[in-house]
Amino acid sequence: MNKAPLGADLIIPALALCFAGYFFFSIADLAWEAKANGVLIGTVLIVLIAIQAVRAGMELAAGRGDLSLDTLTAPRDALPKRLGMVLLTVVFITAMPWLGLTLSLFLGLAAALYLMGVRRRAQLFWVPFSVAASAYLLFIALLNTDLPHGPVENAIAASVAWF
Amino acid sequence: MTWDFLLGQFATQFGLWWVIWPAILLGIVVGILPGFSPQNTLIMLLPLTLAVKVEVALAFMIALYCANHLAGGIPAILVKIPGSGGAAATTLDGYPMTQKGQAQQALVLCFTASVFGGLITTLATLALLPWLSQIGLVLRSVEMVIVMLFGLTLIAVIAAKDFLKGLIAGFFGLLIGVIGTDHIYNTPRATFGFLELYDGVPLVPALIGLFAISEALVMIEEKLIVGREGQAKAVSAQWAGIIDGLRLSVKYWWQIIWTAFVGLFIGIVPGAGASIAAFVAYQQSRLWSKRPELYGTGIPEGVIAPEAANNGVTSGTLVPTLALGVPGGSTAAVMMIVLQYHGLVMGPRLFASNPEVAYGVFVSMAVAYIFMIFTILPLARYMSRIVLIETTYLAPVIILVTIVAAFVERQYLFDMALALAFGMIGYIAHKTSYHVTAILIGIILGPLFEQYLVRALRISQGDITILFSSTLGNTLWALLVLSLVLPFWRTWRQKKALAAERFGDER
Repeated sequence: MNKAPLGADLIIPALALCFAGYFFFSIADLAWEAKANGVLIGTVLIVLIAIQAVRAGMELAAGRGDLSLDTLTAPRDALPKRLGMVLLTVVFITAMPWLGLTLSLFLGLAAALYLMGVRRRAQLFWVPFSVAASAYLLFIALLNTDLPHGPVENAIAASVAWF
Repeated sequence: MTWDFLLGQFATQFGLWWVIWPAILLGIVVGILPGFSPQNTLIMLLPLTLAVKVEVALAFMIALYCANHLAGGIPAILVKIPGSGGAAATTLDGYPMTQKGQAQQALVLCFTASVFGGLITTLATLALLPWLSQIGLVLRSVEMVIVMLFGLTLIAVIAAKDFLKGLIAGFFGLLIGVIGTDHIYNTPRATFGFLELYDGVPLVPALIGLFAISEALVMIEEKLIVGREGQAKAVSAQWAGIIDGLRLSVKYWWQIIWTAFVGLFIGIVPGAGASIAAFVAYQQSRLWSKRPELYGTGIPEGVIAPEAANNGVTSGTLVPTLALGVPGGSTAAVMMIVLQYHGLVMGPRLFASNPEVAYGVFVSMAVAYIFMIFTILPLARYMSRIVLIETTYLAPVIILVTIVAAFVERQYLFDMALALAFGMIGYIAHKTSYHVTAILIGIILGPLFEQYLVRALRISQGDITILFSSTLGNTLWALLVLSLVLPFWRTWRQKKALAAERFGDER
């Protein structure tokens, strides 16, 4: 008999419980108006988590579940891609202030496509190029947002000024 | 207001097609991207709107605003990524329709519900403006607490499959919604030391993380986001799909009308907005439906209700702005700035001093909706083919582009990291059946609920009985209790009927 992976099921309650604990700690010294709503919600949340924990405990005791995280990691062949995408996104966010929106999006997307298994050079160039160019046109040229400027944005701005 | 005046206004607005059409296209493009609210886009384009004549600026802003509200439903239906908080409820039935190969029909339902919902409420607003403006005065903090509870009951509806998990997700979201400074003393709560969280958890990164990033991480597992049947239907997408969508829109015409009015009434209340309107409309639509058990499986009513309400809000938001001079939402506030720059002061006197502007706003909105249906309807056939793009390409583009969009609302790099963090939470919730929509409802409605509750308690100096102190409030309480009890009563009646049927068969 396949056992239910209860370990994965308990991650959200565990996160919620930690957050509720931190929340109560952070509001301990505040006036009632500041805590009333949070205390009410937090208390109900803790009660719900307790019920879920008891439910999981009973499943474990009955041998119908285990503490594995299979639900999160399945299917195994997608796991490296998934973790790779998360790491790549972290690098993308970190590098953007230096590389600027356009270049970081181009490089990030090319790397992400490679990670996902795309090997054709034309696709590895043109897909990131068209997305990065569209992002530049919309976010920077048209809407003039404060997204980080890098070598590409500076070069285009300098060219426009020169002309 | 005479008929001649009104017809003249319509003629003037139709003459501004050269402004309205580009604004609609821009509104659709930015509306599809989570992160671009209409007020953000209008603020970015403020120099443009200040430089042109007031009627041109108004036509542009209104068309962009309405198109933006409509477009939020497109990614919600196609890839389960709502373009705005108001479209989050659309994912509940829109995406399942796409998975069943009915993307075209779902898109057409979204467009017709948005356009006709918006158009009908705009015309109603034009006719009933003096009376509608009173609603904002009647619905006070006490009544709004109950309206918020109507929205929150949707958590219980969503949690139907696993009640406990759904409630944990909803209350987790509500607690996340309490992050930030409190409404009375401005003391920070649970901000983890980040100044960026003092204003509360920003909606856009939460929305992007919980829906876009988590969904993209899940879709990696499959080659395409739809099954074989859905692929076949998308490949052979014909105009017949659009006709079928239109047929469904006609079939559910009453649904479009009444849910649009839910949006109008909620939109009139300053500070409420499209998200609460869409959730309440969805919840009410399910409540009064003859087949509530099918909600969430991909049915037309589940797309119509949030979309009609979402666009019913557009005219409602402008009622307090024009009639009372109080902005009904952030977009209305930006419009007020533009009008003030042109020397026009919002409020009741505007109708006497500049009726062409005061009524022109609503006429402009009606005209924008008419233009919109002809612009967007033919696109449904081509939009529905997005489901044929392999996830190998779709997932990386969704993750990186929406991460960039997370920056746009507040222009903090922090918000990109926050979106990724919510993406992780959303992924875990998704894989372990803790409904991400329930978390999002909590995050959206939590701060609003607290704001109205604390305001009411502050007025009564902590006396909770204030929540039962008004006739309208008590009526709303009764309706709330009714809406909670009715599904149980209906299930009980169905079971009883089934048992009686079986008993009859046995005899």
